[in-house]
Parts: sequence; C-alpha cells; structure tokens
Amino acid sequence: MKPEIEAQKINAFVDAELDLGSQLEMEERLRLDASLREQVEGLRQLREAIREGADYHAAPAAFRKRMTTLIAPKPAESIRAPGVASAVQRWFGWRPMAASFGLVAVVAVVAVALNLAWLHAQDDRLLDDVVASHVRSTLGQHLVDVASSDRHTVKPWLSSKLDFSPPVNELQIPGSVFLGGRVDYLDGRPIAALVYRQGQHIVNSFVWPGAAKDSKAEFSTERGFQTAHWSQGGMNRWVISDVNREEFKAVVRAIQLADSDR
Amino acid sequence: MSDDENARRFESLVMPHLDAAYNLARWLTRNDHDAQDVVQEALVRAMRYIGGFRGESGRAWLLQIVRNSCFSWLKANRPAERMLLDDEDSLHEITAPASDEPPSIAMRKADRLQINQAIAALPVVYREVLVLRELEDISYNDIARIADIPVGTVMSRLARARGLMREALTPSARPVLRTVPRSACGGEQP
Repeated sequence: MKPEIEAQKINAFVDAELDLGSQLEMEERLRLDASLREQVEGLRQLREAIREGADYHAAPAAFRKRMTTLIAPKPAESIRAPGVASAVQRWFGWRPMAASFGLVAVVAVVAVALNLAWLHAQDDRLLDDVVASHVRSTLGQHLVDVASSDRHTVKPWLSSKLDFSPPVNELQIPGSVFLGGRVDYLDGRPIAALVYRQGQHIVNSFVWPGAAKDSKAEFSTERGFQTAHWSQGGMNRWVISDVNREEFKAVVRAIQLADSDR
Repeated sequence: MSDDENARRFESLVMPHLDAAYNLARWLTRNDHDAQDVVQEALVRAMRYIGGFRGESGRAWLLQIVRNSCFSWLKANRPAERMLLDDEDSLHEITAPASDEPPSIAMRKADRLQINQAIAALPVVYREVLVLRELEDISYNDIARIADIPVGTVMSRLARARGLMREALTPSARPVLRTVPRSACGGEQP
C-alpha cells in the first residue's frame, strides 16, 4: 500500500471514521503488527495533546452582544434611526441653527419612538423565549442541571459554567422549595435558570447580567403563565410560573427581597 | 417566510454556533480583530440566506459560510497564504510518511504555547481541517462539506496536518530552520 494511503487509513481508524469492513481489517492487523500498534498509539497521543493543549477561541462577550443586536428582528429601524438623526445633525450643523433645531428635534423624537418600538419587540421575543424555556423545562426531564436545595452548591456550579456569578437564594415564603439550577439560553447568551417549587407549581427564575439601572417589575400573563421581569443589581431577571397571580406576586417579592439582601 | 420567522430560525439554528464560527475564523485569520470582521460578514450573509436553508445542521451550514468568508478575506489580505491551495502536490515531500517514525513520547510534554504555535504555523488548508476535526470534533463528511472538498482530500489533508504537527512537536524531528539560542549550544553536553 502507498505510504500516504496507509497513513490516511491509520488516521481514519483513530478518528473512528473507517467503514465497518476496514475497521475490522485494521483491528486484525493491529493484533498482529506491533509497529502498527505503536503508530496508532502515537497518533492517539498527538490527538490528545492537540485537543487538550490548543486554545479554543470562543466569541468574546462584547462581540457576541454586538452580533445578537445585529441579527435581532426589525433591526433596520433601530440601527438606522440614530444614524439618520446624527447624519441630519451633522448636515445641519453648519446651517443656521434656528432652521435646524426643529428638524433635529423631530428626527430625534422619531428615533426614540422607533427605538422604543424595537425594544418592545425585543421584549416580546424574549417573552416568547422565556415561555418556551419554561415549558421545555417542565415537560422534559431537564428541569435542573444541578439538583440541590443548598445554594452554596448551586451558585459555584453555575458560576463555573457561566461568565458571571448569578445571585442564588432560597425564598423566605411558605410553600417554597428550592430545587436547583441549570444553564439555559436566552437573549442570545447562556444564562442561569433557578428553579423553585411553589406548592405543586414550578417557578423558573432566569438571570443574566444586564442593565445597570434598577427597574420595577413588569407583570404580564402569557398563555396562562404569570411572568414578571425587572433589573436589579446589574442583573436582568425574568420569572415565570403557572401559580396563581397572588402567589406569583409573593414569589417575585421574595426574589427581589433576597437579591437586595445580598 | 416573514422576517420575524427568519430571525427566530436564525437565533435557534445559527446563533448557538457563534463560538464555533469564531474559533474557526480566529484560527484562520490568526487575530481577533480580523476574526470579528469575518464572522460579522458571515453572519450578515447567513442572515440573508437563512430563508433558503433546509438542512439539519446549522453548525455545518454556518461554518461553511464562515469558511468562505475567511478564504475571501485571505485572498484579499494574505494572498501568499492561499498559494498552497492550488499547489498541493509540492507539499508531499514536506512530511515523511507516518510509518517511518517512532511514536513520540516527547509529545506528551508539549505545552500549550508550542501546540498553539504549531497549529498557527500550518499552511491554511491543513490548519482548517485540523481545527475542524480536533477542536470542533466534526465528522469527515461535514468537513468535506464545509471546506468544499472530497472526503478523500479531507483524509489526506488531515493525515498531513497531523504529520506536520508531530514534526513541530517532536524535538528530534524538528526541521533545521529552528533557531537555537546561543547559550543553549555553547559548551559540551555532560
């Protein structure tokens, strides 16, 4: 056999990419041929060394964020609007100021309005994702990655899997049981999901780094689920459950209280 | 298909593979700045074509687009690197056939820096298959799709890429080009 073909075959064997016939043939040859065994072993070591030693370049967080914004639905208005505003400002900058002010104001208002509309669209999309994630978690077996009622177990585990350390707290209200946490994917990034049981109902609480400014909880009902979202301590928070509204509000208050005690 | 639906599909099929896309682009361009430009351009392209995407593997589909963007970038910015594309035969004598070489224990000791440098020094067509195989664990078939080459070529390039890696990582088999610091070769060895 030509040496190049032989080398390719050994590589394919190590990669488990040979068809069954060739695989068996190779195993038989390996049994008889010590130098072939050495070659295979050498190749395995090389493969290990590369896999363990080579840098894996994950997308930097800032870049990921930029790309997520880039592909978000209806990006046309949101991205263009501020650009148009500043272009107009630039163009009018050397014109008589009085004439330009009115137009700039109008454009700025339109830009802000479009931005708000887009932010709302983003929230809607996020809401859909939150509902989908909640439903998935309650339907399948994948409710938690780390099942523990001890937050000192859950928090380090989540921190090790994420690029941030989420607040993890038990809730000081009757009927609340902390079940654990898992890593989920929302808003174009990996996030922490904390799971509680409230009576017979599952509560998912999603958290990831976001707005620096705290905001009040906004409540809504989506397909029969209670949801709330807010920002607190530099973290975005979405909570969802199928408990009744009163109990849900109590859960939200308990989460906010626990977070503010940190 | 509506824009919203496309955006949703994009987010569920394509965005989970952003890391893989970045890793490939980073290894092919060998710097962060250009990798970001290339991946951004690839995403914009992918966004445009997502409506026509019917396959199963969003990863292979995205990596194919990223790979093409990378090679366009290389063509424009690193024309010398691409030379090897059309001239594969001339490389055959670079690597000795694997069967002549003993397995290397020294490889175990190769540190991260050495391994990264050795990969970065591979000709781009070999670097590409090696990164896809070892860092992304992609099957020969999918590598063939991504790099737009027959499976046989995937096999020959991968075997050669590993041959070159072994040479670079095995001290005794180092090519003569290596520079040795003066202090290291002065004096008799005990």
